[in-house]
Amino acid sequence: MTDVAANAPLLTVEGLEVAYHRVAIALYGVCLRVMPQTIVVLLGNNGAGKTTTLRAISGFIGLDDASITAGCIRFAGQAIQGEPPHANTRRGIVLVPERDKVFPNLTVAENLAVAVSHRAGTAERQRLEALVFQFFPALARLRSQLAGLLSGGERQMLALGSAIVCKPELLLIDELSLGLAPVVVEDLVRRVSSIRQELGITILLVEQNASVALAVADYGYVLENGRVALEGPAAELRGRGEIQQSYLGQASGEERRSYRALRQRPAERRND
Amino acid sequence: MSLQLVANVVVLAAIYALVSTGYVLIYRASRVLNLAHGELMMVGAYFLVATAGLFSGDPLLALALAAVCGLVMGMVVYVVLMRWMTGEAVLAAVLITIALGILLRGLVILIWTTQQFYPGATFGWRNPPVAIVPGVQISAASLAIVAVAILVYVGLFGFLQFTRWGVRMRAAGQNPLLAEQRGIRLHGVYAFAWGLSTFTASVAGMLMALDSGVESTMAIIGLKAFPAALVGGLDSLLGAVLGALIVAAAEIAAIQYVNPLLSDVVPFIVLLIVLAIRPWGLFGSREQLDRV
Amino acid sequence: MELRLLGTTRQRIRFALVLLVLVALPFVATPFLLDLANQVLLASIGALALMLLTGFAGLISLGTAGLLAAGAYAVGVLVREANAPFWVTLPAAAVLGALLGLIFGLPSLRLRGLYLAISTLGLHFVVIYLGGEYEAREILSTGIMIASPSIGRWSLSSGREWYFALLFFAGLALLISINLQRSRTGRAWRALRERDVVASALGIDVQRFKLMAFMVSATMTAVAGALFAYFRNFVSIDAFSLYLTVQYVAMIIIGGMGSIPGALLGAGFVILFPYAIEALAGLLPARFSNTVFALDYAAFGVVMILFLLLEPAGLIGIWHRLRASLATTSLRLPR
Repeated sequence: MTDVAANAPLLTVEGLEVAYHRVAIALYGVCLRVMPQTIVVLLGNNGAGKTTTLRAISGFIGLDDASITAGCIRFAGQAIQGEPPHANTRRGIVLVPERDKVFPNLTVAENLAVAVSHRAGTAERQRLEALVFQFFPALARLRSQLAGLLSGGERQMLALGSAIVCKPELLLIDELSLGLAPVVVEDLVRRVSSIRQELGITILLVEQNASVALAVADYGYVLENGRVALEGPAAELRGRGEIQQSYLGQASGEERRSYRALRQRPAERRND
Repeated sequence: MSLQLVANVVVLAAIYALVSTGYVLIYRASRVLNLAHGELMMVGAYFLVATAGLFSGDPLLALALAAVCGLVMGMVVYVVLMRWMTGEAVLAAVLITIALGILLRGLVILIWTTQQFYPGATFGWRNPPVAIVPGVQISAASLAIVAVAILVYVGLFGFLQFTRWGVRMRAAGQNPLLAEQRGIRLHGVYAFAWGLSTFTASVAGMLMALDSGVESTMAIIGLKAFPAALVGGLDSLLGAVLGALIVAAAEIAAIQYVNPLLSDVVPFIVLLIVLAIRPWGLFGSREQLDRV
Repeated sequence: MELRLLGTTRQRIRFALVLLVLVALPFVATPFLLDLANQVLLASIGALALMLLTGFAGLISLGTAGLLAAGAYAVGVLVREANAPFWVTLPAAAVLGALLGLIFGLPSLRLRGLYLAISTLGLHFVVIYLGGEYEAREILSTGIMIASPSIGRWSLSSGREWYFALLFFAGLALLISINLQRSRTGRAWRALRERDVVASALGIDVQRFKLMAFMVSATMTAVAGALFAYFRNFVSIDAFSLYLTVQYVAMIIIGGMGSIPGALLGAGFVILFPYAIEALAGLLPARFSNTVFALDYAAFGVVMILFLLLEPAGLIGIWHRLRASLATTSLRLPR
């Protein structure tokens, strides 16, 4: 049970610094704020530090020998930086990772069954599982299909579904749209939005595809080289020239460059 | 092959299969090769010696108690020792299991000396030969081994396929990171895998004790069963059964038609052949080789 | 990297002192201590061989006992069948070692890590079986007796004579190891250990170097086995169990993986350990002291576990940490 005052943020990150292998600094004092039941998006190119931020929040920072060297992360008023991942999961911080997001040799049904809902009783868990099939009817059809054989979009749906079964308070999604066709992404994003409506979950979404993300987000941060370069309500960000130029691939005014130059770098399988 | 030989193969395969479940369970859950498995099996057999001494009038109680001790032993080994190696290099974990095996061998002799024990005799049971088919005889304990092996396999298969915690164990084996992210406590899963593993090993050890007695050198059977697990692909139960049949058939055939001294080395020859032709075994997957 | 082995005057003085102690030892030590020293020297050869293979090149091998057995059996069989002198048997053992090294090394071209270790385990059992076969066929229930190596009327039999002979061989092994470590081969092996995929991308002929590592290591081990046979005047397959392999693996772990002084320290530790246990056992009630070998097993297992858990860098790791902490306390280096 989180004890959040009406206008207090659910998650605050203050001055977060993260270094890999103790020497390569990935984050230089990142500050974020996520209000309850909102969708906040973290934008930025590869290497900007988005995934690192998510990892720090979820507690899975130990991968690749990374560690939090300074700063504070507060969830529902409690400081959680440096806590082990399972402690955070118990608090209701659930991560949908960028890669390896489902169990490939288990069926869809098994993937959902496997998730442990520390914060929900049996009845509620059943309700959540039923809800997942409501949000993602395609999954209901694929119940006995091996997760490894699913398409990219279906896999992402399953990943989101199994995260929901954990009854998250804060859902961290790393690269929702990576490798998916635009139509599929649009559909997914709509569903994510309705999940937020129905379940009152707070969502922190990491995305390279700014136009998609800003369409559904309430607030956004743009990370660049480990720092927050821009922030603001989504509507505002959508209108800003820099974002249009660098991330949306739209030329503006005299600074017209070829689309090729403006187009985002193709998704690379690299850590942020 | 005469029917008697076939029966012998089935009995030996049952032993190897039963012992192999332990290797498969731990490897499947945590990618660790437990090379102390033979010694743990031996300790299980000695547990029966102890409980038989205490409850000689009530064999079922003695057996049950020893089996429970076997289960607990595995969990203790994980919690006290192997837990610290979770996340470390697999090779270091395997080396620790080798050291554990040596430690157990020493402890067993210190506690029980090198004397041979016959818990069956303590119960007053004479292990009569049973004629399954006219002309084919195996000892009653051997029949029990086959029956128990089948039961254990059915039970394990059911557990892993149909129970929530069984599926969680499989999930943890596939992707430990994701499992943690979905709330599964890896330490709990691994401890249970170890417990199950030593449970089946102890049961195997106890049955062998009833059949031919307990002695501190019986741990070698654990090592001989390993090729069966490998042939099957270290993380497949079904593979272990097939592997056990192949190894047992090869061993019996070699003893019968070539040279009885080959008995201890045939499983390893099979092992080498499999490593040469298809290292990931019958049902394993190729990427296993690189994960190590 | 220092090109000459003994560059500075300080190093030369240290070396001279060590040499002095080594040479003086057999004249001041008791026969018992001398025998211990001989055992340590002998074990060092095998330990260095394993260090080259596993510590340097990163190729896991559980075949040490099998290779020692092969060397010992080369001597045993040749002496028994043909009464061959040592200057035939020792090279024969070396050749057999090289051949077996090739065979043991072949799996490493396809397998890595655990699977490689398992393949060497399998080969171990095959070698042991062959030895057992020979003994059974020749009805040698107590093994093969071997006379001490001799030239003319002089034979190598006293503790002191063995000491210098073994010092020579161990020194040779040490020299070979140090030279290999500094050579192109050694660098290639280190590259192998890190990531052989990367190594091959760098143009290193991975296959050739892997096989070479196995062959060099196996040759050294087989020669050590041959020396064993002469040292004990006796060869029997029972002496070459899996436990022997584990002892050698323990030597390089306890000593410190990948370090030459580590191999020597580890060899010393593992050889002397049972004697220490035996001494302690005398303090225990009779029941335990009767099965000293079991106590030895148990204690050895505990020590190995402790090192693997607490000090994976081995005795060398402990030594470095001690030195580092002494340095900082005495020099008071600024933070």
